[in-house]
Amino acid sequence: MFFALIFVITAWAYSLTSADGFAAVVEAMNGVFGKIILIGTVSVLTYHILGGVRHMFMDAGYFEELESGNSSAKIVIGAWVVLTVIMGVVLW
Amino acid sequence: MVTNQASIKRDGIQDYVSLRTTALVILAYSIFLLWFFVSTPEVTYEVWTGLFSNLLVKVFTLAALVSIMIHVRIGLWQVLTDYIKPHTLRAGLQYVLNLIAFAYVAIGVFVLWGV
Repeated sequence: MFFALIFVITAWAYSLTSADGFAAVVEAMNGVFGKIILIGTVSVLTYHILGGVRHMFMDAGYFEELESGNSSAKIVIGAWVVLTVIMGVVLW
Repeated sequence: MVTNQASIKRDGIQDYVSLRTTALVILAYSIFLLWFFVSTPEVTYEVWTGLFSNLLVKVFTLAALVSIMIHVRIGLWQVLTDYIKPHTLRAGLQYVLNLIAFAYVAIGVFVLWGV
């Protein structure tokens, strides 16, 4: 995800500094390669956030038993897959 | 033993707390951007620069970038110490990766400066 940030920061910098930079970023994002990076990055971030939020619940003492830990992990993965598919449709 | 505040040396508790506090800032910023893209029908160059010319958005963006730098510094240290056993290689990786994380903040500052 850290390396995905290279694309994010570069695109953000180009898109803000000039109008044709913005156009170049938009055009890149409409390309197949751009869309793969876009959906990949958003998906990876979504998984990290879901896992992170679950981790914070665990800090508060929840989901620490075998069943609750297992089921919360499956919910995170399920939600991740669903959200990735939704974003894939939206962004494609 | 009171932590020596004069140095930037930290302990496990500070890392534990910093990781989560920075995570909350980054999470808030991600939700803010998600809301922006969802609620803006067509993102044009004017709309995009308009968003980042707002002072509060600039401060929020910089706060997020600095939070990412701290979050990455701690998180990648945990990853590297788990997986990269040879310490010289690990030290070299940490050096490069943390430099990149700082570069993200620097790019953010100079881009926001110009908007």
